[in-house]
Amino acid sequence: MTAAVEISGLTKSYGEARAIDGLDLVVQEGSIFGFLGPNGAGKTTTVRILTGLAHPTSGTVRVLGATVRAGDAVGADVGYLPDVPGFYNWMTATEFLRFAGNLFGIPKPQLESRVATLLDLAGLTGVKTRIGGYSRGMKQRLGIAQALINAPRLLLLDEPTSALDPIGRRDVLEMLATLRGRTTVFFSTHILADVDRVCDTVAILDHGRLLVQAPMEKLKSRYRAHKLVVEVTSGADELIARIEAQPWATAVARAMNGAIEVTVSDMGAAQHALPALVAAGGLGLSRLEAGEVQLEEVFVDLVGANRR
Amino acid sequence: MTGWLVFAGKEAREIVRTWRIWVLPGIVLLFAITGPLIARFTPELVGALVGNNLGGLNVPPPTYADAYLQWTKNLSQIVVIALIIVYGSLVSGEVRSGTAVLVLTKPLSRNAMIAVKAIVHSLFVSAVVIVGAMVTWGLTWATFGQAPAGPLWRATAAFLVLAVLFVCLMTLLSVVVSSPAGAAGAGLGVYVALAIAAIWKPLDEYSPAALTSQPASLAGGHDVTATWPVISALVIATGCVVLAGTMFRRQDL
Repeated sequence: MTAAVEISGLTKSYGEARAIDGLDLVVQEGSIFGFLGPNGAGKTTTVRILTGLAHPTSGTVRVLGATVRAGDAVGADVGYLPDVPGFYNWMTATEFLRFAGNLFGIPKPQLESRVATLLDLAGLTGVKTRIGGYSRGMKQRLGIAQALINAPRLLLLDEPTSALDPIGRRDVLEMLATLRGRTTVFFSTHILADVDRVCDTVAILDHGRLLVQAPMEKLKSRYRAHKLVVEVTSGADELIARIEAQPWATAVARAMNGAIEVTVSDMGAAQHALPALVAAGGLGLSRLEAGEVQLEEVFVDLVGANRR
Repeated sequence: MTGWLVFAGKEAREIVRTWRIWVLPGIVLLFAITGPLIARFTPELVGALVGNNLGGLNVPPPTYADAYLQWTKNLSQIVVIALIIVYGSLVSGEVRSGTAVLVLTKPLSRNAMIAVKAIVHSLFVSAVVIVGAMVTWGLTWATFGQAPAGPLWRATAAFLVLAVLFVCLMTLLSVVVSSPAGAAGAGLGVYVALAIAAIWKPLDEYSPAALTSQPASLAGGHDVTATWPVISALVIATGCVVLAGTMFRRQDL
């Protein structure tokens, strides 16, 4: 597998402030890559450097094997959607897509066919009004359509679902999922549920630094190995107090369904000790299993640890 | 080259389909129409305003030269200022609205974007001024019964060189200064500096400063050599576009 994006030692400073701090990142071709981080983490700056719109302070960036030079036009195989796409308000959606396609030099018959398909995808077929009269959601959908006009090998999306309603969001995520294997999707967002839903690989950025990069399942299983769920027939509060006293228990919480979620530092010790604690309290054990980990928990844990 | 032509087509359509089609053409046509009429009726207007207060002073009968002078004065004093204001956001407007980001992440270089804007808008301003000159020419003939082509077209051509210089200068200023008002202010400052510089003879002979006053002299039928001012203005205009491209490439968008 070859790399669609290679970032090495990337830094970007604005005066004293460092927006990106020694970022190393590799995105394999064909993957749907979730680039996660809280607001101000440096996601948009990274994407802008990837597209040649911003100059790095130091480091190198390669996209589809070619070194990105700031100020130069990006290759014809890249599609890009900025966080807030700006359009010529006097154009219609059809005119803008034709204009974008013509910049790529797409032959007319092929372009007309793509324009029709993408208008349909964006839910803008038959909309004759000028873009100036569009809602933010309509502009966002048109932004995704224009990013796909050249059938790119690499699609760079900066917060693509932030302005969409739930149905629009679902449609966009489903569309991204259909690109898996054919187009590399680099998807910057702070909406964890979107990444959880479609991405196969994830990187988490905070304060311009990479906290983790891993395939989604691997990341979750790494955290799953530190979580147990216990359910007892009665006396849950008493059991929680006993668990909290154990050296291997780092956090104990009560789930909505009444189950006890235990984060542990030593899984082996916890698996041996927990049934004994239940028995010692004379409680009935209903369930004991490895906990399901949500991306949100991983994110909060990593970003929280980085800020402590 | 495809990108250049496609973007040039966009610029041309943008002119036709937005406020740009009304502002400069409206101003230029207004002066083209009113110039000969104001020149023709100036004695009557002056007479109506001051009555017998001028005593024995007689206002000479107006001629076609007065209409030409009116046209060139309006071009050099008002149209150039309108042009500076209109083009204060030529590039920064695209950056601010986010359209530059979408366009420049497609196969179109920043240099191409700058060059296309300077060329298309120079052509637009030229077309507008040429149409205005034709209107002035026709109305002058209709009003005064004579309208020799030479003085009018020489004066208009000299102004066009100045106009192209200012389109290119505003292209540069709208890259360097993100605020349209700031860029327009800087452009006006350059215009005033040029007009003052024309007082110094060497600059009046060799620099674009001469083009702030030469159109009026040419319209009056005076024999003026504008070769060096024209050459220097075109060289500086080209330099402005090249510098604008270089500075635009260095910016973060």
